[in-house]
Amino acid sequence: MNKAIELNGVSWKAGRSFALKDVSLSVPAGSIYGFLGPNGAGKTTTIRLFMGMMKPDSGHIRVLGRDVPRDMKSILTRVGYVPERPHVYPALTVAEQVRYHSSFYKNWDEGWCNELLGSLRLDPERKISRMSKGETGKLLLLLALSQRPELLVLDEPTDGLDPVVRRDVLTAVLDYVSEVSATVFISSHLVHELERFCDWVAVMDDGQLLVELPMQQFKNGIKRLHIADAPESADEAPFTILDRHRANGIGSLETWIVRGWEPPMQYYFDSVGATVRNVMDLDLEEGFVELLRSSRPSHKNGG
Amino acid sequence: MYQPMLHLHWKQVRLALIPLMVASFGLPLLVVQGMGTVPGLERSTLEAYLIMSQSQFWLPFFPALAGVIGVTLGLSAWNWDHQLNHVYALSLPLRRTEYTMLKMGAGALLAVLPAVALWVGGHVAAASVTLPAELHAYPNELAFRFFLAILLSYALLFTMAAGTVKTTLRICGVLVAFIVLGNIATGVLGEYYTFFARTNVVEVAVTWLMNAPGPFEVFTGNWTLIDV
Repeated sequence: MNKAIELNGVSWKAGRSFALKDVSLSVPAGSIYGFLGPNGAGKTTTIRLFMGMMKPDSGHIRVLGRDVPRDMKSILTRVGYVPERPHVYPALTVAEQVRYHSSFYKNWDEGWCNELLGSLRLDPERKISRMSKGETGKLLLLLALSQRPELLVLDEPTDGLDPVVRRDVLTAVLDYVSEVSATVFISSHLVHELERFCDWVAVMDDGQLLVELPMQQFKNGIKRLHIADAPESADEAPFTILDRHRANGIGSLETWIVRGWEPPMQYYFDSVGATVRNVMDLDLEEGFVELLRSSRPSHKNGG
Repeated sequence: MYQPMLHLHWKQVRLALIPLMVASFGLPLLVVQGMGTVPGLERSTLEAYLIMSQSQFWLPFFPALAGVIGVTLGLSAWNWDHQLNHVYALSLPLRRTEYTMLKMGAGALLAVLPAVALWVGGHVAAASVTLPAELHAYPNELAFRFFLAILLSYALLFTMAAGTVKTTLRICGVLVAFIVLGNIATGVLGEYYTFFARTNVVEVAVTWLMNAPGPFEVFTGNWTLIDV
């Protein structure tokens, strides 16, 4: 399968406070790839690294089959980027910013840009400094989409937007993807939002990539199990235990949160004399929270 | 690409640049103020001396104004990019050198505007006085020197402002260290070494920079609108 973005063993350090540690990820071409993580996890840093804005201390990065940062110019002609915070010139009007931006892109779609101005309800004569956060967010998306990019990189595109604007933004993205077989890389900490339309998901925390899976596999793989007569030690378990605790704090019934669960693994419990009473699906948000909880040192140290 | 970049820089700087253009136009008129406007009148050598003396008063204002314009253009070139942490600029599909050259070029073209204003002002001023036979007006030469001085100060500030605050502080630190160490060398080592007693390296450097063929000679050279 072709990869739109590939990071291999990428590390980057900013003083003593923060570091990306040996991050490897691969975004399949044509996918909608959700990049999840709490604030400060390293999502924006990862994006800035593969957008060529910063140089990694080690590791290799390829975007759309080309090397970063060597082929950055040709990569950026094919990438639409919506940054985390509004990065457009405040003294320009919408029309001026569009004119400025369009001058850098050969594939600029003027007709579609005008269509988007209408559908996103943006006034071309409005000064950017007088626009709300939602309007600026829509403008950034319009700029990125009108380039007709093969890869759309959205860094927290709906953060802080009201529900109506958020819907407008996501609808515009989905319309584009349905029309063009573009890859979308969308970073967010709003988990439920990504659940609806992403087909791949990666979770990052504290500068490390915790997991990268097809969405369905991620959702199906994380389960809440109710176990009767659970064994003391579960070192031999064929799945990863993210958390275990007594169900409601009474009796011998335990609740286990596990990753990598498949129904045939029931044999494990039979072999240790335990009984699986119940298997429940977790939604993406619950799975995400449990994954983060299990990966943090306080949890690993039993804190 | 160049035209939108030019438009962007113009929008950034126009509120400061327009008054500076007005000042550039007005300065030559101030030089000739009160010099007399009677056409065809024979004027004496004494009057020529007085005219020269009067015009001397305004000379320092030309390089100063050129410096202010250059600094304004240089600082404004990067102002918005710094505010946006360069994220937007770096996401555009062009090499950093290309982006920098486009920006530099836009500012250089804007530097023409005050120079043209001064050129027009110089011609209006020259036409408004009757000079003694010994004296001539040089509005073209003055405007050209003015343009070069703007370009030089613009290029310096553009370069310094392009870097981070840390880089700018480092450059300033090196300059200050050179001045301090140069003077210390003259003061302390001058007692033991005749070379340092005779030579102040700071003075030598300043003299070289400010006089031909030094790059800053454009500021210290002949700025007269009216000369023999």
